[in-house]
Amino acid sequence: MELIRGQKLKLADVTTSAAFEVQIDVQSNLVVDISCFGLDETRKLSDDRYFIFYNQKTSPCSSIVLEASPHSAGFKLNLSALPPAIKTIVFAATIDQEGTMSAIGPSSLRLVENGKERLIFPFSGRDFASEKAVMVAEMYFKDQWRFSAVGQGFNGGLSALLKHFGGEEIEKIKETIPAAPKVNLGKVTLEKRGAAQKVNLTKQGQTVHINLQWDEPKGGFFGSSAVDLDLGCMYRLKNGDRGVIQPLGGNFGSQNGSPYIFLDKDDRSGAAADGENMYVFRPEEIELMVIFALIYEGTAEFTAVNGRVTIEHKGNFEILVPLNNPEGGKRFCAAARIEPDENSIRITKDELYFAGHVDCDRHYGFGFQWKAGRK
Amino acid sequence: MAVSLTKGGNVSLSKEAPNLTSILIGLGWDARSTDGGDFDLDASLFMLGENGKVRSDLDFIFYNNLKSADGSVVHTGDNRTGVGEGDDEAIKVELTKVPASVSRLAVAVTIHEADARKQNFGMVSNAFIRVVNQADQKEITRYDLSEDASVETAMIFGEVYRHGGEWKFKAIGQGYKGGLGPLASSFGVNV
Repeated sequence: MELIRGQKLKLADVTTSAAFEVQIDVQSNLVVDISCFGLDETRKLSDDRYFIFYNQKTSPCSSIVLEASPHSAGFKLNLSALPPAIKTIVFAATIDQEGTMSAIGPSSLRLVENGKERLIFPFSGRDFASEKAVMVAEMYFKDQWRFSAVGQGFNGGLSALLKHFGGEEIEKIKETIPAAPKVNLGKVTLEKRGAAQKVNLTKQGQTVHINLQWDEPKGGFFGSSAVDLDLGCMYRLKNGDRGVIQPLGGNFGSQNGSPYIFLDKDDRSGAAADGENMYVFRPEEIELMVIFALIYEGTAEFTAVNGRVTIEHKGNFEILVPLNNPEGGKRFCAAARIEPDENSIRITKDELYFAGHVDCDRHYGFGFQWKAGRK
Repeated sequence: MAVSLTKGGNVSLSKEAPNLTSILIGLGWDARSTDGGDFDLDASLFMLGENGKVRSDLDFIFYNNLKSADGSVVHTGDNRTGVGEGDDEAIKVELTKVPASVSRLAVAVTIHEADARKQNFGMVSNAFIRVVNQADQKEITRYDLSEDASVETAMIFGEVYRHGGEWKFKAIGQGYKGGLGPLASSFGVNV
């Protein structure tokens, strides 16, 4: 059964089961978060634990469970196990960055029972104007469970939605919820050079994790042609401190003192599952940080190693920077840069190839003194 | 205590309020709480003969024709947003002045520019129609349309009609595709 905005029906008309899934698929280049709210009879979020989202994926009664992948989220519901105080369940889609819901493509909410689609509510950017938070649909109890295709929202985003539900401000709620592993709702790939993503640092002091991975070139045996890629960065902080962090010369940085950037380990083969990792503990202190990958040993070039850098802020965003425009003959790649953007940071894909550190420094204008080093 | 009706239900106004001479038909809905264009709902009333049609176009009482020729029906005016408690629009009827050739008063609500604004009744919350005795301002009956309003853009909320020597009210909750124009046409108004 296909619904249009405003349409209402009794759930019993489409399913006799109290256990089913609600699947929401949003087509968009933007990061669209899917969440769900269990409201009391006055349509208020009187219990914060019934705000189900990527940091709180299960309701206390386990009758609402979020399962999500990029741009898609499914809620497993069991209405019979829901506390009687919960009278309404609202499914919402929110954007926590630049852009509005008018930019989304063909999207849908589906109710699926035992693998069978019982209803579908298609919606798209044409239904919206400047909304950043949309109540896609709701289920509510009035004599019996009913379904309404809402499709209305708020320009003010998630915090406006929470205000509508009488809930606490989002920041307060997030503080009360222990951080949990992130689901990849915030996954963005910066495909092209110059592509940038502004991200919000919702929690001061939360760590940005940078990971470099690459593949061993095919045909090489037993390390004779193993490639060693190093992850490193050049940085300048707002307090004026500047420097280079890289395995070369053993400059691993520091977690507890300036620059609050720490390089975890040197994976010399690329075989370790987690690649090379660098952590930025105070991203808000950065004025300019250039993340680079360096081929230290081996005959391979960037053209053969399929390098990729991931920049992740747990529970917030995950940005993939594939090194997909490799140039032969150059062993130094400035993959991406991090800069401040108002109260947040902006990540821009550069993927510029240089003969080495000195050329890179010259390009970005750090002004370091260079001398040769070796691991 | 007012009689609460569900779709299709009816009540005798004359029995609930003996000596009833004049009523106020109140219509209400919640203002839009989300962002986007306001819900501008318009109430109108059709004075219908036995055949279910208006006697003339003047029997169509709406925002551009607020008073019937005989003065028995008066629309109190247009509300453009639904803001405020209580009735958003109201129509007063002097039952004793309604001509004998009129057997039914059909009360409809339509959404202004529904197509252009992509709106329907399913997006509007807490729509109701109620009948109040003007003599003592007591509510005689009320019909809450919340669960009966869905994708329609025009709806007959209720009907006040003669039954023997009594006046009765029926909760209709019947939707029409299209707006005020097609609805008026169906009652024989030349639009």
